[in-house]
Amino acid sequence: MPDLRARLFTPARDPSWGAAAALLASFVVSFVAMAVTGRDAVAGFGHLFSGAFGGPGPLGETALKASILILTGLSVAVALIVGLFNIGAEGQLIWGALAAAMVGRLDVPGVMPLALMGAAVAGGLWGLIAGWLKVHRGVHEVISTILLNWIAIHVIQGWLVPGPLAAAASSAQVNVAGTEAIQRAAWLPRLWPGTRLDLGFPLALLIAFAVWFLLARTRRGFEWRAVGAGRDAAHAAGIPAGRRICEGMALSGALAGVGGALLILGTEHRYPGVFRTGYGFDGIAVALVGGGSAAGTAAAAVVFGALRAGATRLQLVGIHPSFAELTQGLAVLLVAAPRLFQPLLTRLRARSAPPVPP
Amino acid sequence: MNALELSGIRKRFGAVAAVDGISLEVAAGEVLALVGENGAGKSTLISVACGLYRADAGAVRAFGRELPPGDPRAAIDAGIGAVHQHFMLIGPLTVWENVVLGREPRRWGFMNAVQARREVAEAAERAGLAVEPDARVETLGVAAQQRVEIVKQLWRGARVLILDEPTAVLSPQESGALLRTVRTLAAGGRAVLFVSHKLREVLEVADRIAVVRRGRLVQIGRRGDTDAGKVTAALIEGSAVPPAPSSGAMRRPEPGVLLAARELTCLSDRGRPALRGLSFELRRGEIVGIAGVDGNGQSELAEVLAGLRRAGGTVSLEGDAAFHRSPASARLAGVAHLPEDRQRRGLCLPLSVEENLALGHHAMPPYARGPRIDAVGRRGKARELIAAFDLRPPDPLARAGDLSGGNQQKLVAARELAGGPPPRLVVAVHPTRGLDPGATRRVHDALRTARDRGAGVLLVSFDLDELRALADRILVLFDGHAAGQATPDAGDDLLGRMMLGQEPARA
Repeated sequence: MPDLRARLFTPARDPSWGAAAALLASFVVSFVAMAVTGRDAVAGFGHLFSGAFGGPGPLGETALKASILILTGLSVAVALIVGLFNIGAEGQLIWGALAAAMVGRLDVPGVMPLALMGAAVAGGLWGLIAGWLKVHRGVHEVISTILLNWIAIHVIQGWLVPGPLAAAASSAQVNVAGTEAIQRAAWLPRLWPGTRLDLGFPLALLIAFAVWFLLARTRRGFEWRAVGAGRDAAHAAGIPAGRRICEGMALSGALAGVGGALLILGTEHRYPGVFRTGYGFDGIAVALVGGGSAAGTAAAAVVFGALRAGATRLQLVGIHPSFAELTQGLAVLLVAAPRLFQPLLTRLRARSAPPVPP
Repeated sequence: MNALELSGIRKRFGAVAAVDGISLEVAAGEVLALVGENGAGKSTLISVACGLYRADAGAVRAFGRELPPGDPRAAIDAGIGAVHQHFMLIGPLTVWENVVLGREPRRWGFMNAVQARREVAEAAERAGLAVEPDARVETLGVAAQQRVEIVKQLWRGARVLILDEPTAVLSPQESGALLRTVRTLAAGGRAVLFVSHKLREVLEVADRIAVVRRGRLVQIGRRGDTDAGKVTAALIEGSAVPPAPSSGAMRRPEPGVLLAARELTCLSDRGRPALRGLSFELRRGEIVGIAGVDGNGQSELAEVLAGLRRAGGTVSLEGDAAFHRSPASARLAGVAHLPEDRQRRGLCLPLSVEENLALGHHAMPPYARGPRIDAVGRRGKARELIAAFDLRPPDPLARAGDLSGGNQQKLVAARELAGGPPPRLVVAVHPTRGLDPGATRRVHDALRTARDRGAGVLLVSFDLDELRALADRILVLFDGHAAGQATPDAGDDLLGRMMLGQEPARA
């Protein structure tokens, strides 16, 4: 963690090559793993690539998945900035999804932006609970956000969606489990005919830019960074540290909540009966590989989005699509454990350097 | 045969040669003082001697045998024992448990507590060190903990004792006792390597004095052949800081009370009364030194004034009795705070130098324009402060955590004293602890400048020489109240007795 925190806060001078090297290494290891288990690794990686980038359809899928990952990744990254490790993006995301599904049913002008805002508020409130517990009750955020995930899942998917909010069975539409469908006006417009690329991707990039601006260019962002980098010093400097932590967690939750809204407004168009996305947890991987910066997070989200999109085609060579998770897990491991490589790197550098005279 | 011999030690960190070819030897029965500025290479050198660092070149020998490089275990086995500035003790354990930890005497596979306790008591007794073997370490004061560390090294068979800035945390009486202990240990045949900034005690305790500067040994001589002037010259040669005029006693404070405290009370972190009815006044343009043995309320007093600790009684800053209700309001009222724990309270270590310079002033120009950070203005102001306080490296983007201790303190001083609007009240707690003479001079100058511009300065320090050099008046705290007041020319003796509560309070 110290290395990670150092990279989170240090002015970026050499920001990305470490993460890029880790990503590359994780692909190499995945390749080897594919080969030694008797699969055609070259073909496998060919499918992986074409499934992610081979034509408009795959590109659209990559962008779709990347847009959600950008938001959940930013959610985790923003929490890290104020010094909290938010494991709860999944719970915040499904609250956001539910809020979007509810607001999206309203027959009012501007329903789409309203649904997005509702999702941000719902996810933000869920994140705020963890921040409040941390500041005022000393509850560690890792514990509280994990538990809040379960509460969210059970309250929403065990009670609200199959219960009070379930679509009426008698309606004319095909009977699907879940809530009523949202208004057509709330759908995110598709941007590229023949693909599923929708407004979500540019929106996610815009939000990433806004988060970068907030953190790097505003006083408030500076105060968040200061609180995360040294709560006591920030407090002594007159910054209301507890309030800033709560704000950071609320923003973190809001970002995840908007991620949930993109899923509902872009593809699901209702809150479905079965909704286990995993995007919230993948957001942790995205933020860690992205080094906690907004740009790095967006870049990592695109890579992992491509991996998710491409992995569906791995079945063509008899490999389970969850293989992508192996690659993703390896990347996190390699990024989060730079100490594993540090001695090796220093030795390599020492060997290539000219000998020091005795 | 030398007890400890370092020959041709070199150690680089990146492009910087921390130690650049130093050879030294310490004989059994000798005290060698190692003197140098922050970053001169003292700490690196002793880390090499203890096996904590592997030197790039050179050899460490103990009693004629060369030690394998970078092997702390081998150094300990060879009889090299170090007492570091940060004690390595476990609070809830007793003294004897701490001493034997990791090398417990055993009998049938179980720890032999009786033997362990007896051996520890004997080791302390032989060295003339007063420690209570059954006391829990967390109940002991700093000086007693230091004695435990020394006993630990002796019990483990240290024949070469390395003391890193041992008096930095001690009161004058305690320092005196430690210096006597050091002489006793040397008389008993041990070799002592004594690292210090304080020339007075070095000249008192050492047989020989070695001066290091920028990783090189620049002077080494017997105590009789050198004096404070020569050592100082060798220490700061090249940095050329003119001696500051001792203006303390000459100046008359402006009339007008700046800060008035009446019957101030507060609790310590452990919930015990720390201040018990402290009353005093501070005038504009005056430096009041606060003397006292650690734990008599001075840390808490500073925190109250900085808005970090709730207090009873009243304290008002030019009539404003609510200025200290929060750190933000204290800052707004013009209180500058050089905190005791500069790494925890003073700095956000992962942030850059320029960001730390802005901390607390970050909402106002030139650091911000409206709700936005003014990157250009902040960079300009940072460069100005870096130059004025000679921060090294002179890089606004360097990580604060990567600076040396002295430069971190200069960074805090720069921000608090010159980073924002001129302060009205300066609260400085041990502002030069662990700093080299050059950095000390800069911090002192900055405090004097603040005073000359009309600020009131409250200076908490254990270093009576520092208080005498700077303060217009010295207030002695004992047990949470004012035990007495003295002029800067008061002797150690009088101040010492007041610090121990033996002198009746005088107006």
